[in-house]
Amino acid sequence: MMRSYYKKNYFGYLFIAPFVIGFLVFGIYPLYNTIALSFTNTTMMKADGAFVGLQNFERLFADKTFFTAITNTWALWLMNFIPQLGIALLLSVWFTNTRLRIKGGGIWRMLFYMPNLLMPSAIAALYFSLFSYYGPVNQFLVRADLLPEAVDFIRSPDVMRGLVVFIQWWMWFGQTTILLMAGMTSISVAVYEAATIDGASIWQMFRYITLPLIKPVMIFILVTSLVGGMQMFDIPFLLTDGRGSPANSILTSNIMMYMRFRSSQGHIGAASSVGVVVFIMTTFVALLIFYLLREKTDKKVKEVRS
Amino acid sequence: MSAQTQVSASLITEDKTNYRFRLNLTRFFIYLVLAILLLITIVPVWLLFVNATRSTVEIQQGISLLPSKYLISNYNILLSRGLDLPRGFLNSFIISGLTTVVTVYFSLLAAYSLVVYNYKGKQAIYNFILVLVMIPTQLSIIGFYQYMVKIGLDDSYASLILPTIASAGAVFFGKQYLESIVLTELIDAGRIDGASEIGIFHRIMFPIAVPGAFTMGIFAFVGAWNNFFNAFILISSRDKYTMPMLVQTLRGDVYRHEYGAIYLGLAASVIPIIIIYFLFSRYIVNGISMGAVKE
Repeated sequence: MMRSYYKKNYFGYLFIAPFVIGFLVFGIYPLYNTIALSFTNTTMMKADGAFVGLQNFERLFADKTFFTAITNTWALWLMNFIPQLGIALLLSVWFTNTRLRIKGGGIWRMLFYMPNLLMPSAIAALYFSLFSYYGPVNQFLVRADLLPEAVDFIRSPDVMRGLVVFIQWWMWFGQTTILLMAGMTSISVAVYEAATIDGASIWQMFRYITLPLIKPVMIFILVTSLVGGMQMFDIPFLLTDGRGSPANSILTSNIMMYMRFRSSQGHIGAASSVGVVVFIMTTFVALLIFYLLREKTDKKVKEVRS
Repeated sequence: MSAQTQVSASLITEDKTNYRFRLNLTRFFIYLVLAILLLITIVPVWLLFVNATRSTVEIQQGISLLPSKYLISNYNILLSRGLDLPRGFLNSFIISGLTTVVTVYFSLLAAYSLVVYNYKGKQAIYNFILVLVMIPTQLSIIGFYQYMVKIGLDDSYASLILPTIASAGAVFFGKQYLESIVLTELIDAGRIDGASEIGIFHRIMFPIAVPGAFTMGIFAFVGAWNNFFNAFILISSRDKYTMPMLVQTLRGDVYRHEYGAIYLGLAASVIPIIIIYFLFSRYIVNGISMGAVKE
């Protein structure tokens, strides 16, 4: 019996081969190609550009717009991530608390998650229409006497930045709630019962039981949200004119990469360099967060166990 | 009964009513917050659908939460301005459907390999897949585009569908799922009956894994349906435009004052997903939970 297993094991290679080949052909090679292109002056017109060394990167780092784009990307992500995690923590504690017994937890959660599945480009266009000069938001605010006259929201950098943050929050707080709830419901009830007998308050239970035990889920949420946030494109691109207007307020690094790519010359080399820099930055930070936080948890667990 | 115990008993009941009052107050506050969040979640989407049925004049006159009767006329305006909605719908369905099949089949096959067989490098491949989930793959799109141009696959659906053979997230999910359903005995039985390994995968494993495959498929479909960035870079012929790309053209000058038609175009692009969601939300919510809680 055992021998037949060993004989069959090479099917393992066979069955994973499509994934590995697909990944090499459509994942690794394009990445290599992007890095290679970032050292050339390839354009749409000139398919095989010459090697120009670090020229693209030198230009990129000398460009103030690039730093605006990077700062914007980080700011837009952080400003939506913090309230997203906050609300989601609150909701998941409410939904999982046995004393509160909130009714219809599944239905609330299902409805809160819905925006996440909607097409981001349609959502951006929807909010553009809602906030346009003659749009419903202006109509409502003027009629309710909250504003003396309609405001041109689309031209206000602060409003647009706030709106991108809001839309991202709107799309993701439901998903984060589901993930946190999954983490919380996997904690044994006995732990909380013991704490209640010991006279722990709700806050103490949250701080010293829930929070440490949902740490792996929180790391997962943090890392996936970061990786998604650093590639933010659809919402800020379609909310205004596709150039991060007004005043570059919602220009993200991916929009900048796209603008280089679709410039009149089609600077493929220069666009690649944007991708490469953001790729290195994101991967580095994501892996750093993952390993730093993960090791700490392991140590703590070991300390408790020993 | 002494006076002392009576006093303490009344204190306890007082404490209980006090506690109950506080609990109810907390509950009231929580439901209030939930109701506000629900309004924030639903109202924009509701307005989208209502406005799709209202004329531009009505939309400019004010907000309404009730539908009107201009759905057909909005649709005609949309088509008369050159937006081929049925075509976009069909294109998106073809791409999303094929993506779903490719993702589910190859990801389950890879997950099956990781769960059932033992071979050198298996753990390394699995660790690598975990890392892949954390890598910003969109950022290599320029190199991907130029490579597709070179091999003549730019402006083709193949360039959107084939890369999903290697979907790290789906393999990860598939592995979690397959581990949760016992199959070694069934595989052994299949082998004794003389079935081939791939036959066992197709005829024994697949029927058992249908719920998991279904969940995986929903996510693949939604992801492909909503994918704007890759299609926007890779597809150039107008007759190949997907729904998100058509949505993007709605922002153009042609539709500047046709709000009703714009809302209808947007509504049409999200309606299939909303239907899928209300039919299968249980699968979706469980699927998300499964992706996060491991070990």
